[in-house]
Amino acid sequence: MSTVAVARSAGAKRRRASGRSRVRPALRSWLLLVAGLAIIVVVLFPVYYAVIVALEPSSTILAVAPGVIPHQVTFANFHAAWDNEVSNITASLLVSLGVVLLTLLIATPAAHGLARFRFRGISIVIFALLVTQMVPGISLSIAFYVTFNKLHLLNGYLGLVLADSTYAVPFAVLVLRAYMTSLPSSIFEAAEIDGCGHGRAFLRIALPMALPGIITAGLFAFLFAWGDFLFALTLNSSGSVQPLTLGLYKFVTAFGSNWGPMMATVVLAAIPSGIVLAVAQRWISGGLQAGALKG
Amino acid sequence: MAPARSGEPAPVSRAPVRPHRRLRRRRLIQLAFVAPVVVYVVVMFAYPLVFGVSMSLEDFTFASLATGFAKFAGLSNYRQVFDNPVTWTAIVNTVIYTVITLFFQFGLGLAIASFFNRRFPLSRTLRTLILIPWLLPLIATGTIFRLLFAGSGGLVNRILADLHIIHSPIFWLDSRVSGMAAIIIVSIWAGLPFNTILLYAGLQDVPREIQEAAMVDGANAWQRFRKVTLPLIRPVAAIVLMLGLIYTVKTFDIVILLTNGGPGNATQLLATDAYTQVFSNLQFANGAAIGNILLLFCAIISVIYIWSIRRSERQA
Repeated sequence: MSTVAVARSAGAKRRRASGRSRVRPALRSWLLLVAGLAIIVVVLFPVYYAVIVALEPSSTILAVAPGVIPHQVTFANFHAAWDNEVSNITASLLVSLGVVLLTLLIATPAAHGLARFRFRGISIVIFALLVTQMVPGISLSIAFYVTFNKLHLLNGYLGLVLADSTYAVPFAVLVLRAYMTSLPSSIFEAAEIDGCGHGRAFLRIALPMALPGIITAGLFAFLFAWGDFLFALTLNSSGSVQPLTLGLYKFVTAFGSNWGPMMATVVLAAIPSGIVLAVAQRWISGGLQAGALKG
Repeated sequence: MAPARSGEPAPVSRAPVRPHRRLRRRRLIQLAFVAPVVVYVVVMFAYPLVFGVSMSLEDFTFASLATGFAKFAGLSNYRQVFDNPVTWTAIVNTVIYTVITLFFQFGLGLAIASFFNRRFPLSRTLRTLILIPWLLPLIATGTIFRLLFAGSGGLVNRILADLHIIHSPIFWLDSRVSGMAAIIIVSIWAGLPFNTILLYAGLQDVPREIQEAAMVDGANAWQRFRKVTLPLIRPVAAIVLMLGLIYTVKTFDIVILLTNGGPGNATQLLATDAYTQVFSNLQFANGAAIGNILLLFCAIISVIYIWSIRRSERQA
């Protein structure tokens, strides 16, 4: 189970400047920086625009074109958005934390087992986990709807946590397994010789050493659950458990042009993404690659 | 999922020989680590998929929800689904949407990744920032673009009007072609970071020495890219394309938010069509059948994907 590109790129922090340029190196790197900034500005413009509109008083949003900086700054939209959505934010938080818990409970021991022990069917389990990530959510949600209806799991937290965990569990196992495989096996062999059982080796050695990986997997599980719309829409027809994504959708369809509070809600919905970016940025691309490329 | 349960002694790495019973007990403990995830995959994935297939072969109606009983109906649901022009609209839309989205995601992603594959100040920070669109909830992304594409006062229309390209506002989300165009643009934007980051990792793996050797041999930048870089990143590129294909073909959120499949089912994709059949029209069996068509698409792509991974691993 070697990796395609990851293992090599992980060690390869080699930076490279391509080509001997005729332009002086200092000037060249400044030109590159300007071009890089331009790319980022263009790509991120929609997000920036959303923030500007969220800060703009409702009266001026579409009357005058919002410029590069807001004409007037107000937090009225955020107050409105918060009042509208506070119960939905709570629901999103509860569901997402539930998904994180369930995911880590299942994925951490599984990742340890798949990385450390040798079973005959290990490659089949890993293959199955890769394949599950390709199953369209809508196929699952139709079956979940019928089954959950029978089990009285519709319109409740447990059902939504179970459904949302399908985004996170396979991903977390694969990412964590990659992480755990990279831990030196000599430590575990030494522990075994000293008479340390599997359970203790997992709790005392693997868990602490894999903590960064576990945190990353947990953050991603949170983000996947936080961003879920499909299961929230299909498994909560009564609206009793309404996450923020569903709240935003209902707001958009009901008050199609109340842009100020709408964009403020978007900003609120984006907060966890910002936190993940700040906290786990160096793990994101590694995790992305592990989930995608390892197998 | 039998393998994880089989208790046959596999070679335990460098473990000293132990009494048989002890070994068995250790084996069971080892299995206990992996068993939950195996059960999870069976309950949360295998069972629903089998259930979906059986549902699509039954006369499953709203009443079946309560009674839990439905008559076997053979392939009649699939016949109904393929007789319905909306299904064909959804299939055609899904194919066009997926191909165009992938083309631009990959092309732009490769261009940006190549740009960042150079040394300059702040390049790492900027590369991190480019992840933002990928991390946003898709519903939030869709909402932002609803504002940008708004018929009256939307920024896109305002810019086009200022440039004298249009003289009256376009109601982007109210027709098939412009609605699909909007959906595709949002989808490209949301998937761009994924392509950029993975392709960047692939580019980082191209050994510098090979590039330099090509340069010494007098190859210009384009030749180096075509003849050196491209062949070397082909395995990664194939994987990025396959994953992009899988993520894109099952798109749901963006369409529901932007057009809800309308006007008049003109912008339905397979995922949203299945949703509409089940949850709006209460056509459970037909919806399940459409879901399975989408599943078949994904299965075919997955097989190619797994095959390409295996192949590139063998080469590595």
